[in-house]
Amino acid sequence: MPARKPSGAVSGAAKPKPTPPDGARVMAQPWLPPSVRRIVAVLAGLYALFVWMDGAGIGLPDAILPLPLRFFVQEAALFPHSARDAIEWRAEGWRCDLGRFEELDVRPFFPIRRDDKESRFYRAMFFHYRQRRVLEALDEFIVEQQNRAHPEARIGGVMLLDLRIPIPPPGTPERRYERLPLTDYPQEVERKYWYVTASDDRTRRCEEPGAP
Amino acid sequence: MKRPPREVTWRTRFEDWLNAPQPIERLALARILLPLVLLAFQSSRLIHADHWLSPIGFRVPYLGGHDWRQPLYIPPVSPGVAWTVAILTVASGLALAAGFFTRASAGLFAALLAYLALADRLEAFTVSKLGPMLALALCFSPSGARYGLDAWRRRRRNPAAPIPTHVSGGVIRFFQVFLCAMYSGAGIAKLRGDWLGGDVLWSHLHDNYQTTISWLLVRAVPGWGWQALQYLSLIFETAAPLWFALPWTRRYAVLAGLGMHALIGLMFGPVIWFALLMSTLLVSSYLPEAWLLRLFRRPPAARQVATG
Repeated sequence: MPARKPSGAVSGAAKPKPTPPDGARVMAQPWLPPSVRRIVAVLAGLYALFVWMDGAGIGLPDAILPLPLRFFVQEAALFPHSARDAIEWRAEGWRCDLGRFEELDVRPFFPIRRDDKESRFYRAMFFHYRQRRVLEALDEFIVEQQNRAHPEARIGGVMLLDLRIPIPPPGTPERRYERLPLTDYPQEVERKYWYVTASDDRTRRCEEPGAP
Repeated sequence: MKRPPREVTWRTRFEDWLNAPQPIERLALARILLPLVLLAFQSSRLIHADHWLSPIGFRVPYLGGHDWRQPLYIPPVSPGVAWTVAILTVASGLALAAGFFTRASAGLFAALLAYLALADRLEAFTVSKLGPMLALALCFSPSGARYGLDAWRRRRRNPAAPIPTHVSGGVIRFFQVFLCAMYSGAGIAKLRGDWLGGDVLWSHLHDNYQTTISWLLVRAVPGWGWQALQYLSLIFETAAPLWFALPWTRRYAVLAGLGMHALIGLMFGPVIWFALLMSTLLVSSYLPEAWLLRLFRRPPAARQVATG
């Protein structure tokens, strides 16, 4: 039985192959005109090529694509390097009533995936730990959130730091990962402080209306 | 008068390869599963849309327009707009999966995913970058021609119309080529990184991405086992274009790819969405036709028009 000429959504494709003698093949009709399809095919091919180039370390996409487009081809180079330590990003808050820094659990202020590396706090620190402007914005945000949520434990500023937990050699049995308070980590766990709110700012914020 | 036979050139061969008909089930499977995986990935963010897109949550300030960490600065929106974006994203993604106003919903879904990827770098991951491209590919193709509400409505209007069994291969070829590019690029990046001599896999199993399965594997797999897994990944990924091009290695490559993604998804917590996305692409693109048709319970032979 020859293939029937379909109607509506289906019809012969732009370049249909000869219909097999059993007549089973009915082509769904593409809705883009052939000239546009050709352009889309070229763009799709370039996209795949740029994804490959980016993974392979060929700098052409970086050289010719504007940042917002380049961003969409930077997706193949996943986990190329080994980690030296397991990194934990943490914050300490300057308690206005106690006059000292104490660990602050910032997870409630960053509710999206609050317990893993995809938390906004982790991501902000991961990308911007050397960018003072972002760290200042983070400082302001955390202080505001903490003082609104816990007016009885107001803070005037923060210290933003990471913990570098050594990774044991392969094959070493170890305890399951769990989040520990800062005070529970042993001495060999290195701490790096990336940001501290200036003393003047801490004093000013602690003296603002609403402070104890 | 007989038309003279077409001259065979490299270009015509390429066009024949590109446009060779593919079972419509490949496209339907991608259309049904990809939006669902993308939505599942975004779900933990969408339920906090105000913290994500509005000033209620932390926002990285404008960094001057030339910083790779902020490919495009898009100012925060009001919480109401953030929730509207979230609702539209879910609605368009579900509509696409259901094949309901497929073209429009795929276009809207692609645009919203692109906005979400660019609006906030902190929540943008590989899946966020892949999403708009895949949705756009579904938009440009006849992905709603079968196995969806649009197809059902068309059939009700015109029961005599034949049911499509194949699509022109373009979009499937794009998925196939893209997968090879992605794997091969990833393999070369790993070769240029630490995968030949370093303990990459092992070193990423100790932080808060750790799952019960990865912890059990950390305790059970000997040190050399991790290195062996790295070499297997390198062999599979770097030479992926070859494994998928050769007919006699293709089905083993599909199994190897699915195995690799299963391991990654089970070992690295939220990376499971990336693993599922790649697995969906892999199955849609390369699953042997007989298996694919069995999945859709479509008989392979001539009864299409009557039973499809």
